[in-house]
Amino acid sequence: MNRRARIEYGLGLGLAGLLLLVAIAPGLFAGAPDSVDIARRLAPPSAANWFGTDETGRDVYARVVHGAGTTLGIVGAAVLLAALIGGVAGAVAGFFGRLGDMALSRGADALLAFPPIILGVVVAATLGPGAVNLVLALGIIYAPVFFRVARAAALGEGARAYVEAARALGHGEWAVLLRHVGPNVLPTVLLQCVILFPLALQIQAALGFLGLGVPPPTPDWGASLQESRNYMTAAPWLAIFPGLALLVAALAAMLLGRGLQARA
Amino acid sequence: MWTPSITRRAALLGTAGLLAAPALPLAQGAALDIYGPADPQARRGGTLTVAIANEPPNLDPFHQAGDARTAVTVLMYQGLMYEHPSGEARPLLAESMQISPDGLTYTFRLRRNVTFHTGQPMSSADVKYSYDYIRDASNGSPGAADFGAIAEIATPDDHTVVIRLNRPNASLPMTLTNRFGCVVPKDTFAAQNARARLSQQSVGTGPFRLAEFRPQSHIRMQRFPQYWEAGQPYLEAILFSTQPNAASLLQALRNRRADVALLPRPQDAEQLRDVQGLNIGTAPSLRQNTLDLDGNFAQLRDVRVRQAIALSIDKEAVMQASIGGHGTVLGTTVAAMQESWGAPLNELATQRPDLDRARALLAEAGHGGGFQLDLVSIIGFEWMDPAAVTIAQQLQRVGIRLNIQRVELGVWLNAFRTRNMRFTFNDWGTQPDPHILYYRHFRSPPQGADFRNWNNAEADRLLDQGMETSDPAERRRIYVQLQKLMSETVPTIMLFSPNLVTVTQSRVRNYAQHPTGWWFGLARSWIAA
Amino acid sequence: MLGALAGRLGAAAATAVLSTAAVFLLIRAVPGDVVGEMLGQSAGDQAAEAALRAFFGLDRPLWQQYLGWAGDVLRGDLGDSWRQGLPVAGIVGEAFLVTLQIGLVTLAVALLVGVPLGVVAGVRQGRWPDLVVEAFSLLALSAPVFWTGMVLLIAAGAWLGWSPPLIYAGPGENLSDNLESIALPVLALALLQAAAYAQFARQQTAMVMRQDFIRAAIARGLPARLVYGRHLLRNVAIPLVTFAGVILVQILGGVVVVETLFAIPGLGRTLLAAIQARDYPVLQGALLVAVLIALLVNLLVDLLYAAIDPRVRGA
Repeated sequence: MNRRARIEYGLGLGLAGLLLLVAIAPGLFAGAPDSVDIARRLAPPSAANWFGTDETGRDVYARVVHGAGTTLGIVGAAVLLAALIGGVAGAVAGFFGRLGDMALSRGADALLAFPPIILGVVVAATLGPGAVNLVLALGIIYAPVFFRVARAAALGEGARAYVEAARALGHGEWAVLLRHVGPNVLPTVLLQCVILFPLALQIQAALGFLGLGVPPPTPDWGASLQESRNYMTAAPWLAIFPGLALLVAALAAMLLGRGLQARA
Repeated sequence: MWTPSITRRAALLGTAGLLAAPALPLAQGAALDIYGPADPQARRGGTLTVAIANEPPNLDPFHQAGDARTAVTVLMYQGLMYEHPSGEARPLLAESMQISPDGLTYTFRLRRNVTFHTGQPMSSADVKYSYDYIRDASNGSPGAADFGAIAEIATPDDHTVVIRLNRPNASLPMTLTNRFGCVVPKDTFAAQNARARLSQQSVGTGPFRLAEFRPQSHIRMQRFPQYWEAGQPYLEAILFSTQPNAASLLQALRNRRADVALLPRPQDAEQLRDVQGLNIGTAPSLRQNTLDLDGNFAQLRDVRVRQAIALSIDKEAVMQASIGGHGTVLGTTVAAMQESWGAPLNELATQRPDLDRARALLAEAGHGGGFQLDLVSIIGFEWMDPAAVTIAQQLQRVGIRLNIQRVELGVWLNAFRTRNMRFTFNDWGTQPDPHILYYRHFRSPPQGADFRNWNNAEADRLLDQGMETSDPAERRRIYVQLQKLMSETVPTIMLFSPNLVTVTQSRVRNYAQHPTGWWFGLARSWIAA
Repeated sequence: MLGALAGRLGAAAATAVLSTAAVFLLIRAVPGDVVGEMLGQSAGDQAAEAALRAFFGLDRPLWQQYLGWAGDVLRGDLGDSWRQGLPVAGIVGEAFLVTLQIGLVTLAVALLVGVPLGVVAGVRQGRWPDLVVEAFSLLALSAPVFWTGMVLLIAAGAWLGWSPPLIYAGPGENLSDNLESIALPVLALALLQAAAYAQFARQQTAMVMRQDFIRAAIARGLPARLVYGRHLLRNVAIPLVTFAGVILVQILGGVVVVETLFAIPGLGRTLLAAIQARDYPVLQGALLVAVLIALLVNLLVDLLYAAIDPRVRGA
């Protein structure tokens, strides 16, 4: 790793750490996100309200801070879910091959052929909006990606000498998969989690923007952007700050992902 | 903006109904008081651009109930009658209407020289075909239920239509107006792909005909040269442009790319106040933003819970939060009908917040410790989100904890249709007639649909009685009684009617906003040089 | 080679069938149907509802509906829209051309901006041009593309007093209106893709720069312009062309929300509207086109890659 890569990695770590802290303990950084004050509606950024106020007079800064937990939590859970489903299916398919592999691979291809946002809209509409369903929808979108990665890794591991050796020693196939192949596939899958995080974040925001995100009054960056649409000219701060938050989160994940990739 | 006149209505229908006077001319000559006044100084020609927030799914007046559809088709299709802003139905394609003493037979004399956009002249056979088509449920028209009162339509000659009813229905004239009462040439729907063709060419009798419909983009209408009102309309063409959101609609007005718009959010008028050259008009509407309470759902089965909820809500505060106060707080009818048909607000129950009584009622119902309840709001209806947050805070005070659930409109409509509304926001409009407003929504099946599972026998009796009564004073008394019943047993909490805020560039002249929010007024508008 | 191609085509066809079947079932699992939108709150008449549902064939079992649709598609008939009654092929075709224009213009802009940036960064590794390009591409890649669009819209309105035309115009109708309509969406999409291109071009350039023949050329004292102009660009160009396919698919996917934001009547907006209205024929037709394009582009990229680089052949 050269010097710049180290700096970028450090920056990624720092930002990710900060965001994590904000997501876990928003109370340290801002007051209540839902104290309505009609008299102070649509106030521009000021010393009292750093990011201004929204149409019901709520503090945008507080909503951005408290939105971190919702937005990042949903995306994080979704990526982990996708990793679990796709990773396990991929490892099994890659290791055992044959008909099951064929079927799963075609299924993954079929899902991957859709524009992710359209798949997200259809799934979110089917399940209905809400945090849990959003996690499921994003999980379905990204599971095939993990499937491919894990499958390729398992294919590679399956052909290695130590696996042959384990087989020769009389270990059952499942035991070999669990004990030898799995642990070797895991790092690849975890790295993929970090790489996919910014992409999933953007889809989550887009679904929120289309109204399929978490219901009010829960603060969420994508949902905030949806609310801001009607005030693009009158109160641009409503659109700018939640978007910046999304940008910073995606940037942190991207830097982190690259750093990890370079180290791997 | 306009004052409903019960007296004129009484003179009109009362005389016709009771004395069976000889054919009563309801209006004369070309200077009709429809769509707004004619303007002798009008300049002809020009294309007017209208920015619209909701695009109609299609332009078929027989198979599409949506308000977005009706808003534009009223310029291309016409019914026998016109829903005058005063609240009475006035003749449009009819010249006169005569009612038999028993209220069961309506005889319409048709206007001569009416030509369809297809070039054919209109005759009684076309009227009979259109209304027979719509009332036949197997044709799948959303208007079928409204036309259910009709037993038979006869055409003694080319210019007379006789409609016989199963039982008296005082709102028949209002039913024959421009939402579902449109007249099209005979056998329009016999042709293959007839429904599809309506998206490419209009076949009505209105002042404008369809020139182009590009979904997700725009609708272009052209002046119909053979229109039956002499010298009308003034505009050469109208261009409706669908805007993706309220901000872009405002921007179009600011940049003068749009001439006219009806603000989807009345509070946006504040953002335009300082813009030079814009006229902003405000009028009460026939729409209502409500909370509906499904009598078959969870704790709402208990009338005391419904009353307690009503008593915990401060409608004024909700309206402030959701549309910045740009509307009218409602009792039990829409703003534009309050004066003519509404029960006096001080005679209605559960209108003012009374938290102590609410708590007492909840305790009596066994919910002293409070409970959780889902509140459904519909995606895309922006007033609902701030309203939901406000109502959640208000109900919190009596121990009811709301979970706000958002559903897509398609999902919501499905629940609505299957009478599974639960506890939900609603946003709907009406034509200015109490029977049309209340009957289908609140009368139990099979006559009505009672979407909120109110199951109120007394209401059913009043609704039937109101339908059959033509004497306006008596009719009003019945509907006031119904409204009192609604306020006591709370199948719905009518929150407010948002104002109709119309913004026009100064070059747009003679536009009058109709309380339905439909674009009738463009039929009389013109563009100054 | 031919056998491999046939295999790839077969797999793509299987994927297409699976995808359409999945969508067919999934969208029907969403509560509500087109009848709901038609009736609105005027619902209540059971007979009218049943008649409408029969009119659209919604009363038949799912498998019959699917086979009916698939049979029509194989005969080249995508059916008619349930909302407007117009042929789906026409609706989707028009919408696709709109989106394709945006996609191609975006691709061109991204290529013209991104590649030079990337090559410069790659040649001047570690120096300030590299840092600037890196910072730009990191930011552009991190921003949600519809948010970039919103910011552009806000900026254009606030500083230039400009907003896009009210009605989208096709390039054939009115070119200047067309360019005004697509300017901001293209810019928003191109910023993102230019960043992707810059990153990719930088990486490729850096790789080529390390190779012996370039080092040798530099060591032989060939003028720098000649080295970069001839050796470097030729070697960088090949992967960049194949990368274009990936980018195009990404653009077509990313355009959905951007079209909604800017009221562009393209494939994405058509898809979203069809989902919301439960206009199944349009939705299925549009998705079929979207899926086929994604598969086709991927296939082309692979073939192109194989044609250019003999090592990939037969793999």
